[in-house]
Amino acid sequence: MRLPVLIALASALFASASAAALALPPASLDVTANGVAFYFNRFIVTADGNVRVRLSDGTVISGQTFSMDLKLNRYLVAGDVHLDGPTIHQAGAAFAGYPDLDRSYFLPAGDTPSRETFFGVDWAHPTTTREQPGDAYYFPDLTGERAYIKAGGVRIVPKINAMFSNAQIYTAGVYLPVPRYVVTFAANSHFFENTFFGGNFDVGVPFNGSAHSLTALHLRNDPYNGTYLAFDQHFVWDQDYIAFGIDPLTQQERQYNLVAYKRWTPKLESRLFLQESAAQAGIINRPTNAAGFAELQVAGGFRGSNISYTQDNYYQYLLGIPKGLTDLNTPTASFDPRWKEHPVDGVLAFTGGPTPLVRGKTALYLRPRAGAGFAHDIYGEGGYSNEQPGPPDSFYHYLGGTLYTAPIRLTSTASLSATYDRQRTWFNLPHEVDLGDLLFTAADSLERLHLRYYVAYEVKTTDDYWGNQQLAAYPPYPNTVTTQFGTYGGQAAFRGLGTSRGYTTSLIYAPTSYFAFKTTLSRFYDTPAPVPGLYGQPPWQLTTDVRFRVSRQILVDVSRGYYFNFADERWTPVLGVQISP
Amino acid sequence: MTFRRLCALLAALVLVALAIPSLAQGELVRFTGQLLDVRSGYVYFTTGDAFKLASALRVNDYDTGKPTTTQPRAKLFARAILDPATKQVVELDITAKHLARDVAYDAVAQPLSATKPTTEKAPEIVGVHVTGKEVAVAFLVTVPPTTPLNSDVYISTDASGWNPQAIKLDRIDGQRYRAVRRFASGTKFAFRVTRGSWNSVELGDDGLQAAPHLYFTQEVDAQEARVTIFAWSDDRGNVPQAAQPGAVPTPFNPNPFPPGGIFPGPRVTPPGGFPTPRPPGFPNRPPGT
Repeated sequence: MRLPVLIALASALFASASAAALALPPASLDVTANGVAFYFNRFIVTADGNVRVRLSDGTVISGQTFSMDLKLNRYLVAGDVHLDGPTIHQAGAAFAGYPDLDRSYFLPAGDTPSRETFFGVDWAHPTTTREQPGDAYYFPDLTGERAYIKAGGVRIVPKINAMFSNAQIYTAGVYLPVPRYVVTFAANSHFFENTFFGGNFDVGVPFNGSAHSLTALHLRNDPYNGTYLAFDQHFVWDQDYIAFGIDPLTQQERQYNLVAYKRWTPKLESRLFLQESAAQAGIINRPTNAAGFAELQVAGGFRGSNISYTQDNYYQYLLGIPKGLTDLNTPTASFDPRWKEHPVDGVLAFTGGPTPLVRGKTALYLRPRAGAGFAHDIYGEGGYSNEQPGPPDSFYHYLGGTLYTAPIRLTSTASLSATYDRQRTWFNLPHEVDLGDLLFTAADSLERLHLRYYVAYEVKTTDDYWGNQQLAAYPPYPNTVTTQFGTYGGQAAFRGLGTSRGYTTSLIYAPTSYFAFKTTLSRFYDTPAPVPGLYGQPPWQLTTDVRFRVSRQILVDVSRGYYFNFADERWTPVLGVQISP
Repeated sequence: MTFRRLCALLAALVLVALAIPSLAQGELVRFTGQLLDVRSGYVYFTTGDAFKLASALRVNDYDTGKPTTTQPRAKLFARAILDPATKQVVELDITAKHLARDVAYDAVAQPLSATKPTTEKAPEIVGVHVTGKEVAVAFLVTVPPTTPLNSDVYISTDASGWNPQAIKLDRIDGQRYRAVRRFASGTKFAFRVTRGSWNSVELGDDGLQAAPHLYFTQEVDAQEARVTIFAWSDDRGNVPQAAQPGAVPTPFNPNPFPPGGIFPGPRVTPPGGFPTPRPPGFPNRPPGT
C-alpha cells in the first residue's frame, strides 16, 4: 500500500518540478563550437563556427556565431540559425535570448520576414507583432580586445559562472592549457570568501562549478609553509554559504577549515566555524597529532542594534593523550597538562545603534553596548601558573559605549570630529578592566591644489584594577630590560595601567584620478614605554602610498613604511604593489 | 522669343532628368550595417531588418569595389545599395572592417525593410540611453566611529572578482574615506566595503550581514556614491571577533604540528602568555577578555 502512494507522490513531485522548470528561463547554456573565447575585460563569451547552444530545457539552437554578454545576461546566435525544441523546428537568421526579461527574439526565415517573440520557453506560441529591443541582434564590438580564455566549449550558468572545457588561459603572454576553468561573475561575494589565511601569493584554478558550488585548487606561498597546493570548496545560496578549505593540502602541517553561514530569517543569522589542525603525512594518512576548535555565533538584528551569542570550544587532543604518557602533570614536548580538558567560553552581547543625543550642527550620538560572558577552563585545568592564577571558571559582564560627533563643519572645507569610547568589564575574580579611547580629528582640504589633510590626536587607556591585590597581580618587574636591540629602563613602574597618546597627520595629493600620493606620519607616547623586541609599537611611524594608472584596467599602488630604526627597522621590508581597476 | 527659350530649357531639363535613372526612378539608397545572415532571398542586418535581394545582386569588395568571392555572412559589415522603387538590394559591398552605422538609417533605410512591422508595445523593455563616456565617480564612505585611525578601507566589486582590496580609499577626516575612479556611463556593478579581507566586511544597520550595494554610472559629468557603514564584521562592539582560518585558535596543544609548528610563535610571550585565542595588547589580561 505504501509503495503505490510513494510512487504517486514522487510522480506528482516530478511532474510539478517539470512544469515549474518549463516556466522558468534557461538555467544553463551549453555551448560548443569550433572556437570559444572569453574576453575578461568585457565579460563577453563568443563562439564561432558550427555553434551549438543547448538550453537547460533541451532546446538546441545552432548557427554560425554566438555571443553572450555575461553581465547584461543576454545572448545571440546568428547566421543559418536552426531552432529545435520539443515544440519547434524552425530556421532563421538570428536568435536572441534575454533570460532576465524571460523573452527570446527570433528572425525566422520565410517569404515574409518578421520578428518573433517567445515568452519563456513556450516555443509553440510566438507573437510577431510585439516590439523588440533595438539592439537585440547586435554583436559586441571587441575591437582591440584580446581573448583571456580560448576553449572548445563552455557551460554558462546565467548570472553565476561560465565553465570552459579544454581551456587555454592567457598568462604572462602565452596561453596555458588547463582541462577546465571556471569564471565566476556572480554578484554574490560568498563564492569568493574562502577559508585560507594570508600568504605571499595565491593563484586559484577553479575547475568545477555550478549554480550553487565552486571547487578550486590554489597554488600558494607563505613564509612558513613555502609553496604548496590548497583545496577550496564553496556551496552558495542567496545569503547562505558553506566554505571548506584544506590549507596546505600538500604539506604535513595541515588545517581543515569550514565556515557555514545561515540566514534563518531576515533578522536572525548564525555562523559556524570548525577547524582542525593536524600533523598528517600524505593526503589520507592518519594524523599523528590533531587539535580542534569550534565556534558558533548566533545573532539577531533589530533596527540599529544587535544581540549575539558566541561560544568557543577547544579540543586540544583530538587523538587522545599521547601514547605511553603516564605522568599527566608534567609538560612534555607533545603534552601540556593544562589543556587535557576542553576549554569553553561564551559571551552574550548587545550592541546598540547610533542614538542621537544632540541634533543640529554639532550632532552628538551614543552607541551603547553591554554583555555578559563566561570562560570555563580557558586557562586550562588547574589554572594558569603565573602571577595571576585563575580558577577553572570565570564570569564577567561589561558595559560600554561610544560617544561621537558627526563631522562638525568649521569652514566651508574644514571639519572637526570627536569620538570617545569607554568600556568597563567586571570579573568575578574580582577585578575590573577599563578601556578608554579618545580621538579628535581636524580635517581640511585645498581643492585648488588637490590636497586633503587631517590631524588627529588620540589617547588610549587600558587599566586593570585589582584593588588591594594590585601589586599581587602586577608585581614590580626589573626596572631595566635587555633585548637584542639594547637595554631599556622604566619597567618597574608598570602596575597594570597603560596609556598611549598618539599624534597622526596625513596628507593626500590627488591632482587627477590617474595619480594619488598619500603620506601619514604618527608619533606615539606610550606608558609603559615600548621595548623593541618585547612589546609596544614604534614611537615614530611613516607610511607613504603612491598610486598611478598605467592602463585603462590597471592601477598600480606602491606603499612603504618607515619605522625610524625601532627594533632595527627602517623601511618596511615589503614593497606593496596592488593592481586594481 | 523669351517664351520659346523657356520652353527649350524646360524640355532640356526633362531630357536630362529622364536620362538619369536615379531621378527617374527615385534616388538609390545606400546604407551600411553589420550582417546577420543572407538567406531565403533576404539580407538580414543586426537592426533586425530584412531587405529583399534583387535577382541580379552584385556582391563586391567594399574596399576595391570589384566583385568578390567572399560570401556574405554573420558579423561581416556591408554597404547595401537599395533601389527604393523595387525595395530590393541591388548591391552589397562587404568587408570585415568595422563600418559605422548610418545616422540616417532609421529615416532612410528602415522604411524600405521587408520585415513586418511590430505594433504592440512591450512594457518589459526599458532602458536608459547612455553613451559610455567617462564619468568621474567619487566613493565617499562613512565608517563607524570606532574604526582604528590607521585602518585601510577598500571597495570590493563583482567586476573585480570580489577582490576584497579592489579599490583602496583614503581617510579624509575622522569618519570618512574617499576614492575617485572613472567609469563609463552605463557601468553597473555590485560592491561591498571591506577593511582588506572578508573577515572584516561591512555589516548592515542591524549588525547582520548586509547585501551588496548596487551601483550604476549615470550619463553625467561627475557622480558621487555615498555609503555609511554601521559596523565591521570584526568590530561590533564587544562581540568577540569571529574566529578566522588564520587565527589558529588552538594554541594550547603545545605541539599540534612537528617541531617548529605551523606558525612561528609570538616574538615574546608576555607574562601570563597568550591565554585566549585573541592575543591581548597588554600583559596579564584576565580570563575572558
